[in-house]
Amino acid sequence: MAKVLIPTPLRQFADKKDSVELTGATVAEVLGALTTQFPSLKKQLFTDEGKLRSFVNVYLNDEDIRYLQKDATPVAATDTLSIVPSIAGGAQ
Amino acid sequence: MSPMITINRQAWDLMVAHAEATFPNECCGAMLGNIDGDVKSVTQAVAIENSYTGAQGARYELRPEDLLEADRKARAAGLDLIGIFHSHPDCDSYFSKTDLENSCPWYSFVVLSIKGGKFDHANSFLPNAEQTDAPKEELIWPKS
Ligand SMILES: [Zn+2]
Repeated sequence: MAKVLIPTPLRQFADKKDSVELTGATVAEVLGALTTQFPSLKKQLFTDEGKLRSFVNVYLNDEDIRYLQKDATPVAATDTLSIVPSIAGGAQ
Repeated sequence: MSPMITINRQAWDLMVAHAEATFPNECCGAMLGNIDGDVKSVTQAVAIENSYTGAQGARYELRPEDLLEADRKARAAGLDLIGIFHSHPDCDSYFSKTDLENSCPWYSFVVLSIKGGKFDHANSFLPNAEQTDAPKEELIWPKS
């Protein structure tokens, strides 16, 4: 089972857990298992079209899945998935 | 009760020092602590490098991997990553269109106004999921 770390503000949608152990062979399968177990997380992470929200990045251990095989990136039982937002801004 | 965020002395001093040292550029960082209902308490702040590739006088960007590192640091210390801070050099503390369009609804966003290199005032904002509005929440920092 792979481990998914839940960011603090999303734990209210995941039975207050800070991490969840899930089964899945790819990133898409693990995230699918996550939102099946906690349906209200889906709206936080995915658009209505089922795409990851623009500010949501997924890391497999230390690697952004965008630079691996995205959704299709294989996940091993010893892997940890992290959900990390993109944040920027400026006064003007 | 309406949402509120309090920042302790140690975290606040680090945030102000980082913002003043980075002036006239924008600084950024993460706030760690815990949440009890509507009340957030920041007990540790982490300075993070502004990774915006252009002029940084009015822009900042956080590398996601730096944020991931801050989250790991929080977990290791038994704390939570609860907010993001950045500075507005020679500008008031407001949540700009750029701030809104690049925000994430999961965190509190503290904006420090730095004028002439010295801290002036600050506010905390809670951007919504649609990135269309960011109401203020009550912000309490140690006054000296
Ligand atoms: Zn700003």
